[in-house]
Amino acid sequence: MKICVCVKHVPDPNLPVQVDPATRRLIRDPKQSIIDPADEYGVETALRLVEEHGGEVVAVTMGPPAAEDALRRAMAMGADRAILVSDEALAGSDVLGTARALAAAIRPEQPDLVICATESTDAYTGLLPGALAGLLDLPQLTFARAVSVEGSTVTVQRATETGYQVIQATLPALVTVTASVGEPRYPSFKGLMAAKRKPIEVRDIAELGLEQHTVGEPGARERVLEISAVRQVKQGRIVVDDGTGESVEEILAFLRSIQVV
Amino acid sequence: MTAQGFALSEEHRMVRATVEELLHRLRPQREAYFHAIFDEMYFPDELWDRMAELGLFGALVPEEYGGTGLGLLTMTIALEAFASEGLGNTMAMVTAMDTMAIVRAGTPEQKRRWLPDIAAGKLCLAFAITEPDAGTNSFRISTLARRDGDGYRLSGQKAWITGVDRSQAMLVVARTIPYEAVIARGLPPRHGLSLFMVDTQAPGLTVQPMDTVGIEGFRQFFVFFDEVPVPEHDRIGPEHEGLAALFDALNAERILTAALCLGMTEFALRQAAEYARERRVFGDTPIGAYQAVQHPLARLKVLQEAARLLTYQAAAAFDQGVPSRQVGLQAAMAKYLASEIAFEAFDRAIQTHGGNGFVKGYHLIQMLAPARLFKTAPINNEMLLNYIAEHALGLPRSY
Ligand SMILES: Cc1cc2nc3c(=O)[nH]c(=O)nc-3n(C[C@H](O)[C@H](O)[C@H](O)COP(=O)(O)OP(=O)(O)OC[C@H]3O[C@@H](n4cnc5c(N)ncnc54)[C@H](O)[C@@H]3O)c2cc1C
Ligand SMILES: Cc1cc2nc3c(=O)[nH]c(=O)nc-3n(C[C@H](O)[C@H](O)[C@H](O)COP(=O)(O)OP(=O)(O)OC[C@H]3O[C@@H](n4cnc5c(N)ncnc54)[C@H](O)[C@@H]3O)c2cc1C
Repeated sequence: MKICVCVKHVPDPNLPVQVDPATRRLIRDPKQSIIDPADEYGVETALRLVEEHGGEVVAVTMGPPAAEDALRRAMAMGADRAILVSDEALAGSDVLGTARALAAAIRPEQPDLVICATESTDAYTGLLPGALAGLLDLPQLTFARAVSVEGSTVTVQRATETGYQVIQATLPALVTVTASVGEPRYPSFKGLMAAKRKPIEVRDIAELGLEQHTVGEPGARERVLEISAVRQVKQGRIVVDDGTGESVEEILAFLRSIQVV
Repeated sequence: MTAQGFALSEEHRMVRATVEELLHRLRPQREAYFHAIFDEMYFPDELWDRMAELGLFGALVPEEYGGTGLGLLTMTIALEAFASEGLGNTMAMVTAMDTMAIVRAGTPEQKRRWLPDIAAGKLCLAFAITEPDAGTNSFRISTLARRDGDGYRLSGQKAWITGVDRSQAMLVVARTIPYEAVIARGLPPRHGLSLFMVDTQAPGLTVQPMDTVGIEGFRQFFVFFDEVPVPEHDRIGPEHEGLAALFDALNAERILTAALCLGMTEFALRQAAEYARERRVFGDTPIGAYQAVQHPLARLKVLQEAARLLTYQAAAAFDQGVPSRQVGLQAAMAKYLASEIAFEAFDRAIQTHGGNGFVKGYHLIQMLAPARLFKTAPINNEMLLNYIAEHALGLPRSY
C-alpha cells in the first residue's frame, strides 16, 4: 500500500511563541523549527502499516525550503521518499490554500491512505485535514487512537470524550491520528545516513498546476483580525509552611473540599 | 555541550542530536539504570539494546557489513553524550576497539563473520592483554599461542579483563614467539605478538571474578587458558606481527576513554553548577557566587573544552587514516587530559555538594571510582607522559 503522510515544519514548541504584530502572523525561524511532534505519530502509524502490509511511505510538506528538515526527519524514521511543496507564491496561504497545494501534490501519487495529525502544534486550527479530504474526495476518519488495514478496509478507533467509536471506510481514505497511536520511533544512525540519500521532489505551483489566485496571499480568504495574549489565569495556591503543622491541615482541608481525598 | 572551535559536520551534529533525543527518552528509566549499575554492578541489558537500536555499535562498521561507517568521531560524540548522563558504557568502548582491529586487519571472511553481528549490537566483545606480571609493560606478556596442526593452542593467564561474563568473544593478545626467544634472536620486543578472537565458551577457558569495584556495571576477571584450541581463521592480522592492528585498537580505546571522561566531566560539572546555584549557606548568597567554589569549576570547564578539542581532533585523524603513530600521540594527549580532569571534576563536584556529595542519590560518590580508574587504566597516565616526552619532545626513554 502507498501512504502519504503530511508533516508540517513548525517552530520548536519548546521555545516561546512570537507573533509579528504588524502581519499578525507567527514568526517562523527555520533554524528553530522542527517536524511537528504531532506528525511524528502520523509517520509512526504509516511505518507500522507498511511494515505489516508492505508498500511505501511518502512524506509530504508545504513550506519554505527549510521545511526539508521535517521531511529528512520523517525519512530518517523510515519514510521512503518525500515531496516538498515550496514556492514564494505560497507565502500567506490560509488553510484552504495550504490544502489545495498539498492536495495537488498528493493527488498524482494515488495513495491508499493519507495520514495527518488531528491538529498542528503551531496554528492548530484542525481544519486542514478536512479541507484536504474534501479536495481529494476521500472519506475522513478523525481522532484515531488506533489504525488498522484489512484488505481494502481501514478501521480506526475514534477517540471520544467517553471512550472510542470503531469506524471503517473503504480505501482510499484520509485518517487523522492522535498521540495515542503509539510512541513514535526515533531515528537511528542508519536512518540518518539513509535519509541523506532518499529523494525529495520539490514542486512549485506551476508544476502542481495551481493558479496564483487560489493560493498564497491572493488566494487567502481567511483574515487574521486580531491577535491577543491569553489572559493568565492564576493557578494554584501557595500554602506557606510556618512550622506549626497547620499548613498540612490546610492542604488536607483543601483536598477534601475538592473531593480528592 | 559545546566545543564550538571544532567544526563538527552536519552529520555529526545530527548524530549528537539523535543521541540526546534517546537520552531524553531514557530519562524516566535513569534511576533504575543507576540502581542496576551502582548497586547491583550490572549494566542493564535493556540499555545495551537501546544503544544498539540507535546504531552505536554499527558506527565503526562499514556499510557493506551492515553498519553505517560513520566512524570513530561519531562513536566519540555518542559515548560522550551517554556518559554525560551518567550512562557511560565501557564495554561499548572495548567492543569498539576489537571492531577496529577486525575492520583494519581482518580478512573479508572475518569481516563477514563478525561485523554484521557487531553492528546489530548482538555481540559484546572483551579485550585481554594485561597479565598479573605484565600490565604497563605489555611486551612482557607470556600467554602463548603454540602452533598445533591447522590452528593454535593457547596457554596462560590474563587478569583485570573487563566484562568477560557478558561477552561472546574476546580479542586476546598472545605471544606466538616467547619474549625471551625474541630477545635472544636480537629482534625487537614487539615482534612475536599476535591477536586472536577467542570464544569465551571455548574448552579449556575458565574465568574467575576479581573483587574490584567494577566500572559502569561491568566486572573484572582472571581468565585462564589451558590449551585452548584456536583455529587459524580466528587470528586477526599477520602472525607474529599483530602490533599494527593492536595499535589501531589501542588508539581507538584511548580516544573513547577520553570520550567517556569528557562525558563524566560534563555530568560532574553540570551537577556541581546546579547545586551551587541553589544552595545557600550564609544569608541569601548561593554558594556558587563564592569564587572559591566557582573558580575551580570554571577552570575545569576550560580544561574540559581543551580536552574535547584534543579528543575530537584525535578521532577525526583516526577516521582520516592518519598514520597510527601520529594518531597515537594525539590520542595520548586527549586521554591524559580528559582522565585527569574527570577525576578532578568529581572531586570538585563532591566538595561543592558538601555532605550531600556522599549521599548516594547524587551519584557523585559512586562515580568517583570509575572517574579515578581512567588515570590508571586502560593505560596509566605516567606511561602516556613517557610516550609524549619521547615522541613530542624527543626525550630519551628511561625504561
Ligand atoms: C491569512 C493567513 C496567512 C497565513 N500565512 C502563512 C504563511 O505564510 N506561512 C505559513 O507557514 N503559515 C501561514 N498561515 C497558517 C497556515 O494557513 C496554517 O498553518 C495551515 O493552513 C495549516 O493550518 P493548521 O496548522 O491549523 O493545520 P491543522 O489543521 O491544525 O493541521 C492538521 C494537520 O494537517 C497537516 N498539515 C497542516 N499544515 C501542513 C503543511 N503546511 N504541510 C504538511 N502538512 C500540513 C499536518 O499533518 C497537521 O498536523 C497563514 C494563515 C492565515 C489565516
Ligand atoms: C577496573 C579495571 C579494568 C581493567 N580492564 C582491563 C581489560 O578489560 N583488559 C585488559 O587487558 N586490562 C584491563 N585492565 C588492566 C589495566 O590496563 C592495567 O591495570 C594497567 O595497564 C596498569 O597495569 P598494572 O596494573 O600491571 O600496573 P603496573 O604495570 O604494575 O604499574 C603500576 C604503576 O607504576 C607506574 N609505572 C609503571 N611503569 C612506569 C614507567 N615506565 N614510567 C612511569 N611510571 C610507571 C604507573 O603509575 C603504574 O600505575 C583493567 C584494570 C582495571 C583497574
